[in-house]
Amino acid sequence: MRKCMLLLGCLLPLFGQAQELYVSSEPASNMPAKSLGIRMTSRFFKMEQEGITGMRFEPELMFGISKNFMIHAQAFASNQMQSSIRPEGGSVYAKYRFLSHDDLQSHFRMAAYGRVAVIDNPFYPATVKNEEMDLEGGASGFAGGIVATQLVHKLAISATFGYNHFMNNLKDHYPAGMSANAVNYSLSAGYLLLPRTYRSYEQTNVNLYVEFLGKANTDAVGRSQYMDIAPAIQFIFNSATRLDFSYRTQIFGNMSRNVFNTFTVRFEHNIFNALKKKG
Amino acid sequence: MKKAIVFLLMATGLSLSASAQIKKVTLQAAGLTCAMCSNATLKSLETLPFVDKIETDLNATTFILLIRPNATVSIDAIRNKVEEAGFSIAKLTFTAGFDHLAVAKDAHVTYGNTQFHFMNVKQQVLNGDHDLTVIDQHFVSARQFKKYSTQTTMPCYQTGIMNSCCEIPGKSNSTRIYHVTI
Repeated sequence: MRKCMLLLGCLLPLFGQAQELYVSSEPASNMPAKSLGIRMTSRFFKMEQEGITGMRFEPELMFGISKNFMIHAQAFASNQMQSSIRPEGGSVYAKYRFLSHDDLQSHFRMAAYGRVAVIDNPFYPATVKNEEMDLEGGASGFAGGIVATQLVHKLAISATFGYNHFMNNLKDHYPAGMSANAVNYSLSAGYLLLPRTYRSYEQTNVNLYVEFLGKANTDAVGRSQYMDIAPAIQFIFNSATRLDFSYRTQIFGNMSRNVFNTFTVRFEHNIFNALKKKG
Repeated sequence: MKKAIVFLLMATGLSLSASAQIKKVTLQAAGLTCAMCSNATLKSLETLPFVDKIETDLNATTFILLIRPNATVSIDAIRNKVEEAGFSIAKLTFTAGFDHLAVAKDAHVTYGNTQFHFMNVKQQVLNGDHDLTVIDQHFVSARQFKKYSTQTTMPCYQTGIMNSCCEIPGKSNSTRIYHVTI
């Protein structure tokens, strides 16, 4: 125990600067204008009722249109709702930063986001009791919300509040007994663990995150909610390439879910000024 | 031979005008801490055509832009590049060569193709290299801008655009004027 405290005491001063490149949510800050991001997110989760490991693969392209506006285009492939891995559909995400107050090594930003998803999936087999739906491969629909992010020297905290509406998938009708509307909320914190002092762009950065992710179904047919915790570790190479590992699990809730624990690996590479070299 | 003399004259002319040039710009970016954010800013600044080389101090989020010989610097273009990367300017200072330029409080001068309004300076003659700091809005913090606003009654400070208060022969009232101090 004493050793643990000592280790913690040694580690705390290392939390030198803040990070907001969250794994399970998006910050209010945008990616740089004219830059291109390439992302591959792989999720692995135990499906409670089938007792097998489900997986979902999410290739994603991100582009900064202007300093205030960015878009993501994402595709999904999974074996969550059928026995083998197959393409499920895609989604488009857009974010507009409408407030930005900068100071030395600090900022406060706010952004509005929207997402539209088109999914070609059967919904969970009727035998599976599940009340959880999402727009990341689960259902077609749309979402919108607000993000606020505060960066202060040693801490970056971000809060999200959003609304989700789920619709029929391309071939299958949305189950009548499931809530077609949900709200989501999250609180995320990030720290830069290493390096303690910067020497070059080539130094590998290590960031630690903890995120609290909540969702509540709001329709009378199935009101329920949950809160998850998702700690993560992130490595940044050459100030351009990210490798994230995150584990997400439920803290409390009363929602019937088929998936309670998800392990996520994400790879991301950013190309700054992707469009032109000089101008 | 005649060609050589013309070339020589041109070269001398160029080297004379080169002394009236911004040689180096030092800027501190605000709103970031991480190396990836600095890298985005660096890559954005590197696209400026008048920039030769950039040195970075990652811990101070400071960038030193070395300017190409004889290139014309656009200070607003530098600000745009920092903002496109997602951040803003906390401080911008540039080193420029002067040749017996008389300045005083609220003096409006043309330097190369750029108009400067000197604020909070003593009456003096600038000779050789000097560091000037841009104190316009979006080049200093909001707090500093408010402070500087109380130190001049001239409306051009609020807009960065020449106004009836500014008198530079041959320059219209809609010309960009940078407010600088030493």
